[in-house]
Formats: sequence, structure tokens, C-alpha cells
Amino acid sequence: MRKTLSYLAERALLVLISIVVLFPIAWMFLTAFKQPRDAYSLSLNFEPTLQNFVTVFSDPWNLGSMVMNSVIVATVTVAIAVPCAALAAYSFSRFRVKGRKFLFFLILSTQFIPAVVIVLPFFLMFRQLDMLDTRFALIIVNLAIVTPFVIWMIKGFIDAIPTDSEEAAMIDGASRLRVIKDIVMPMAAPGIMTSSIFCFILTWNEFLFALILSRRDAVTLPVGLVSFRTERGDLWELMSAAGVMITVPIFIMALFIQKHFTRGMTAGAVK
Amino acid sequence: MAEVRLVDIEKKYGNFLAVPKQSLTIHDGEFLVLLGPSGCGKTTTMRMIAGLEDITSGDIMIKGERINDKPPKDRDIAMVFQNYGLYPHMTVRQNIEYPLKLRGMPKADRKDRVRETAEKVELDALLERRPSELSGGQRQRVALARAIVRTPSIFLMDEPLSNLDAKLRVTMRAELKHLHHELGVTTVYVTHDQMEAMTLANRVAVMREGKIVQLDTPKKIYAEPADLFVAGFIGSPSMNLIDGAVKDGVFRADGVEVPVDLADHDGVVLGIRPEELDITQDPGAAISGKLYALELTGESTLVTLRNGPSSVCARGHADFEADIDSPCHLAPKEGARIHLFDRATGERLL
Repeated sequence: MRKTLSYLAERALLVLISIVVLFPIAWMFLTAFKQPRDAYSLSLNFEPTLQNFVTVFSDPWNLGSMVMNSVIVATVTVAIAVPCAALAAYSFSRFRVKGRKFLFFLILSTQFIPAVVIVLPFFLMFRQLDMLDTRFALIIVNLAIVTPFVIWMIKGFIDAIPTDSEEAAMIDGASRLRVIKDIVMPMAAPGIMTSSIFCFILTWNEFLFALILSRRDAVTLPVGLVSFRTERGDLWELMSAAGVMITVPIFIMALFIQKHFTRGMTAGAVK
Repeated sequence: MAEVRLVDIEKKYGNFLAVPKQSLTIHDGEFLVLLGPSGCGKTTTMRMIAGLEDITSGDIMIKGERINDKPPKDRDIAMVFQNYGLYPHMTVRQNIEYPLKLRGMPKADRKDRVRETAEKVELDALLERRPSELSGGQRQRVALARAIVRTPSIFLMDEPLSNLDAKLRVTMRAELKHLHHELGVTTVYVTHDQMEAMTLANRVAVMREGKIVQLDTPKKIYAEPADLFVAGFIGSPSMNLIDGAVKDGVFRADGVEVPVDLADHDGVVLGIRPEELDITQDPGAAISGKLYALELTGESTLVTLRNGPSSVCARGHADFEADIDSPCHLAPKEGARIHLFDRATGERLL
């Protein structure tokens, strides 16, 4: 009896937490298909429409260019950050260089600095370089944000790989770079995949730097959402449609790599 | 095939001296075993030969050429690791093929060579499996196949059988011995298992605290251990080592009186192997005490008797039976080798 009660309480708590977490997302998805007049209604009885998605892609919102900016900035950031971070992580994991721990801490410590403190120096720097409102500037900033984090993540995965296979490959005739390519990277693949996804999500959702450093040409999706706060008030149905556009790619990606994601997490946690 | 020479090699980790300065020559085609307890520097020595550890000072010569600065890939060696060191994301075929691929061998030749090697270690039916789908013994065979596939000048084997169960270890030991006979490649083998050392080696280097304390054939090391450490380390069950003193040509300890050819000496350890003792009914025998334990091993019975702090083991007939705590007497067999060591220094006295 007591066991059943505790089981029921546990389930009830889980349902409650799920409702709290999922309600805003469900509300966003529903609102995306509502007409403006139904946006504030909590009723599920409304006439669904796809018009909001059409509207956000047309003038003056032009979500298409923002999608393109977000895709390019996030993809290029991942494409540069992950290979560089993997090599750095390998070095930190395998080479016993003097000052290694301090250097690693130094790299991690960049994550302790509040973004709002460094956004102004970044703004001044890019203005000086005439790079404001460019995707290139956003990629550089995102690289600075995510690379230390990805180094730290991938190092955890590489640490968990025994060195025997690497040494065997070196004796078999492989150079250090070949060992990394043929042996370490395939063995660390789940971890690298996980880190890439984290990297992509961080960049995809990055808001503050994109808000300050972009104006018209390099605006990304999260910043684009702000534009739905107009003089006419907050256009929730359009904001929700744009929100769906931001969420869905990440959602699909997470579903697709869920297996790697879990394996990677476990592998990194072991050591 | 090649001769390996270690000339005054030394290895330090900061201030810690892992391998003190020493030299060693491994002859062409020889099977040399580095034997010693954990942490004695045997794996470090092997890793220095492989190029996986830098040497602090000294030279390593292979085929007369100094190879100190050559990376592992250019030393023409193959190594079998304790944990196999297989590539888990590759199939057995790809694992075996990898060293050939790195050396740019054409695909068709590689295929033939992999097949031949796999047949040699009876892996031909498992070529498309991944290491995770293999048993410990099969994985060990893959590691072996990968080592022999390109016929290197030197084989290095770092406790390759230590992860296998006892039965499989015996089987694989015989296979390694046969393989060495067949290929004749110079082999350096690291182990802490004296049985492996005795059965496999042409010569054994017994190591302690980084130093080679005795380098000789297994037979010689067994018969004439250089010091107390070697005497206690080699043999199963190990040599009986009894603390006592020599006076008037007799070694004396509690319940032990053995005539020896040594001048008076305090602090002496007498060593005699269990198989060189006879169990006797004679109360005046050299060693007397109470029966402490009987252990049937199948082909014989190990008889342990105790007298004070001394405990002496003899190998008796499989049918031997007696009551625990009953008086028991042992006598050295005719022509038995009696070893005497200085207790303080461990040096051999006789």
C-alpha cells in the first residue's frame, strides 16, 4: 500500500514537472497556428491557420534571411570549433606539458566572464574593423564563446579512451596526426557528436552578442524574435511561429542523435 | 631479425629513478623475458625499446643502429599490449590489415597477407567481426596477428596473457612458444608470472627496483638464484627460506639442523626447494616440526610443517596422508642443492 502511494506520488510529481516544462512549449506551438484574435485565448477550440508562417517569411519580417544567417553562423562555428577543440582537447589529455593544468583552467575561465561585460569591447573592436553587422563577426564571437566549452567537453571523452590503441597504432606505423584521425576520433565519435550538438545549440540560441553586433544584414533568429515586439504591441502569433522555426531544427537534430547523445554523456561521465 | 642492445640506459621521472643505469644485449632470434614484481621497471624498459618512453640517458641500438630519436613507427618493431590495444571501431580484418595499410602495401597483397596470418592464429572465420564480439582469447589472437602480419625485426610483448583465464593462458603460452620457433623473431616479453618466464624464455632477466639482478637461462636461474630476492621469486611453490645461523659447519634454526660447507656466520638464510626434500619418519632428520597443512595438487601433495616461526614446505607423494599437528620430519634428498644467503644483504653465500 505504502509502495503504491509512493509510486503514485512519484508519478504525480513527474507529471507536474512535465506540465511546467512543456506548457510554454505547447503554448508556443498552439499559438503559432492561431489567428491574432485567438492569440491570448487559452481555449483549444480555435481555427488553425498557416498564415503566421507565411507572414513571418514576407515583408517586413523576412525571417528567411534570419534563418539563413542562423544556419550559416551556427554551421560554420561548429565546423571550425569542433575540429580545433578536438585537437586542443587531445593535447590537453595526452601531453604532459608544464603549466598544462593552468592553461586548461585559463581556457575554462573565459566561461566565467559575464557576456554583458565583454559585449561592449567586442562592439568597439568590430566597429573599428568595420565588421559590425556581418556574419563573420558573429562567427568569431561564437567561436570565442563555444570553443573553450567544447575543448572541456571533448577532453572528458578523450580522457576516457585508453592509450593502448593509440600506442599500438604508433607502433603499427602511424604518425601522431594519423593516430588522431584513424584511432582517437572514431573512438571519441559519440563524444564529438554530443559536443557538436551542444556547440550548435549554444550558437543557434545565442542572443546578446547577435543583438548588439547585428543590425540588418546579419540578424539571427533569436534577435529576429524581438522585432515582433512592435508599436502595435507584442505579435504573439508571429513570435510563436518564428519560435517554432527556431525550435524545430534543434528538436529534430536532438531526436536524430539521441542515441549518440546519451552514449556520449555516459562515456564522458565515467572518468 | 635483429640484435637489440641497451647501453647504459637510464629512465627518470622528475627526481624518481625508475630504471637505473644498466646495459643489456638481446641476441638475434632470442626470446628474452623481463621478469619481476609490479613496479620493478620491466614495462618501462620495454616501452623505451618501443619508443613509447624517452630515455633519460644511454643508447638503444637495433641491428647496430642507434635508434634513440626514431619514432616508434620507424623502429621496425611490433608490440602486443596487456590490454590488447585493438581498434574497437575496426573489424578483425581491418585491425590486422592496418599496419600493412600504413606501409602502403597494395590492397591485393594485403588481402592475401591478412588471410595467411589469420589462418596462422586460427582467426580466419572471424575476420568480419569487431573486437567487442570476440572472447578474451580471440582478442589476444587478433593482437598477435596484427603484430606478426608484417614480420617485424623485433616483437615486444607486455604481459600479453595476464588478462586470460588460467586454462587459456597455458594454451596461448604454447602457441607463443610455437610461433617464436616458427618465425624466429627476436622477442622481448614482460611478465610478473615466473611460470611464463620459465616456460617461454631462452634467457630471463629478473628485475628488482629497476635493476636487472640476474640474467641467465631459466634453468640456471632456478638452480642458482643470484640472491635472496631471485630465490624467493622463482619457483612455485617458492623456495623454502629459513632464517638461522651457521656454527661449526651446521646451519641451525628452530627445528632445523643442516650440515653446510660455510664458516661461522650469523644472519644466514637457508634456501631449499620443496621438491628437494623427502618426508621421513626419522626423528633425527634435518628438519622437524608439526604438520601444519596438506595440499593435494593432483600429481603431488604439498606438505607444510611448522616449528616456531619457520614454515617449511615439501613436495610429497600424491597419496601421502597424515594428521594435522602430528610430528613431521623432512630431510634434503641426496644431492639436493642447499642455498645460503646473507640475510642483511641478500647476497648468495653458497
